[in-house]
Amino acid sequence: MSCSCSGNGSNESLFLPREARILHAHQPTATEKHFTLQLVGGERFEFQPGQIMEVGVMGYGEIPIGLASSPTRTDTFEIVVRTVGRVSTAINTKGNGDSLWVRGPLGHGFDLDALRGHDVLVVAGGIGICPTRSLIQYIADRRDEFERFVLFYGARDPLQLLFPEDRGVWRAAHDIEYHETVDRADVAWTGNVGVITTLFKTTHLAADTRVVICGPPVMFEFVIRELDSIGINRENIFVDLERRMKCGVGKCGHCQINDKYCCIDGPVFPFSEIQALEEAI
Amino acid sequence: MTEMYIREGDFAPFVDAMIAATRVIGPVGKRKKFVYEPLESSSDLRLDFDVTVLPPKKVFFPPAQELVRFDGDLVEGCIAPIDTVLFGVHFYDVKGIDMTDFLFRERNADYNYLAQREATTIVASNIQAISPRAFWDSVGPEVEPEGHDAFLTKLDGGYVLETRTPRGETLIAYGAFRDATPEEVQAAADVNASVMGRCPERLAHSSNAIAEKVRDSFGDEKLWRELANGCFSCGSCNTVCPTCYCFDVKDTWNLDQTSGQRTRYWDSCLTREFAAVTMAGGGTENFREHHSARFRHRFMRKTTYLNEKLGGPACTGCGRCAQACTVDIADPVKVITTIMEVTS
Repeated sequence: MSCSCSGNGSNESLFLPREARILHAHQPTATEKHFTLQLVGGERFEFQPGQIMEVGVMGYGEIPIGLASSPTRTDTFEIVVRTVGRVSTAINTKGNGDSLWVRGPLGHGFDLDALRGHDVLVVAGGIGICPTRSLIQYIADRRDEFERFVLFYGARDPLQLLFPEDRGVWRAAHDIEYHETVDRADVAWTGNVGVITTLFKTTHLAADTRVVICGPPVMFEFVIRELDSIGINRENIFVDLERRMKCGVGKCGHCQINDKYCCIDGPVFPFSEIQALEEAI
Repeated sequence: MTEMYIREGDFAPFVDAMIAATRVIGPVGKRKKFVYEPLESSSDLRLDFDVTVLPPKKVFFPPAQELVRFDGDLVEGCIAPIDTVLFGVHFYDVKGIDMTDFLFRERNADYNYLAQREATTIVASNIQAISPRAFWDSVGPEVEPEGHDAFLTKLDGGYVLETRTPRGETLIAYGAFRDATPEEVQAAADVNASVMGRCPERLAHSSNAIAEKVRDSFGDEKLWRELANGCFSCGSCNTVCPTCYCFDVKDTWNLDQTSGQRTRYWDSCLTREFAAVTMAGGGTENFREHHSARFRHRFMRKTTYLNEKLGGPACTGCGRCAQACTVDIADPVKVITTIMEVTS
């Protein structure tokens, strides 16, 4: 390719993506696609649970996506992309053997040191299960480093519930307390029906539990209200926020919440750090 | 460094020698206004300008800047700095450049900006004319301009050039400079001191007092709705601001449909879709839905959010936003003064 620009020289661009090959792609729902990726060249992709990456197709653009697998697993990494706009639609046309272009990992993931040695509750609503799956797998793989592990997962209806195989594993695991719910049941559904906060009635949580929340914006307020009633310290609540993280490197300004940039100061924040920031939740 | 003097008659040959040797960007007249443009001749240079339409940030952070080019599976970065002298920058715009230098460098160094910045020699110049909405003498007085390599001051019959860096020192070779006398250096200092206190608008409070009071006003929805009343969300205030640096990134294809580029474009936090996230089903979640929330965000950013990092407000007092605002509500002096006068 002839390019009139001089290339990177010694100063690397923050915006130059790396090629990642799709090893496996499948479509678990009408709108979501699940990709297993590997960097071209075989380099291992190092990241922490909860971190994001910019994922794109050249000619269409890139979008921020939370990593959906644990770094403890293999040299591959996984993402789930929901078809909502132009870029996600372009990504979701790709299949096995195709490439995506990625930048990252970006931002702060879950504070594993803060969770280690404590009871952990993960509250995942809708597609919020994807970035939290990275943490769930991590805890499952290093189970002895954590105390009691409770997982709440809610979706609009049974068809929206992702990761059926994982859910089977979580349900069967003796050291994971897995609870799921749907807002609207279908005829085959025999489980809990109701919003995710209805799951709080099904189990007792200790006040020193560490809590991770990821889901639609409307969910946070109601979940935190439940946690307050249990007496859980807000410093021990970690929220994974969604914003338009356009550049991913703390420059473009789209994801700014007061003086924080969601992409580099988050997307995971201790709730105590952002509770006073207007526009955060 | 050194203080040099050049006679009036030797000044144009100095500028022309620079233009012959390198790209020189300076203020030129455009209809009744001024803009920074590459100079073709010293006769184009207008150091008597009051303010340029756009700030000089466009030299390092152009309105459209290619980040990446692609052709099939080949993807390349696009960092191609051009050696440049940016000539004739008022001190408030030097402050603006200092701020964007810091913001593009902090935490993740952005060489798509910094490479051109590092390839640019900045010559500041004294203010010969004051724009009608300027208030640079009363905003952030604690913030000293730093990023310039030399400072040029016009005197009767000649110019004093104070070099501040070795890079600024190299410019002396282009002209018939001699050492400035102590009297000439003092005369230059007097010229620069004489413009202070002459801006048509002024802020009557310290940066800290403003930061605190504006921050405290965040929850006063009624006040912000009144302040933002009439805002078209057009983003003109963002576009002309020397310290605004938000951007959008878009991909475009070339005609061959196999190659194209990823480009960043100036963006504006005042526009409706700036903080909107696309949701399933085509809807959006907008974290600053009302125009008053966006207007407030911009003022919070200018007066409070960035102060600690920048050592003062992210505002230079250039007055460009006040001039650019169609409904004349963006004037920082007017907005801040109103907030400072709110007692509750």
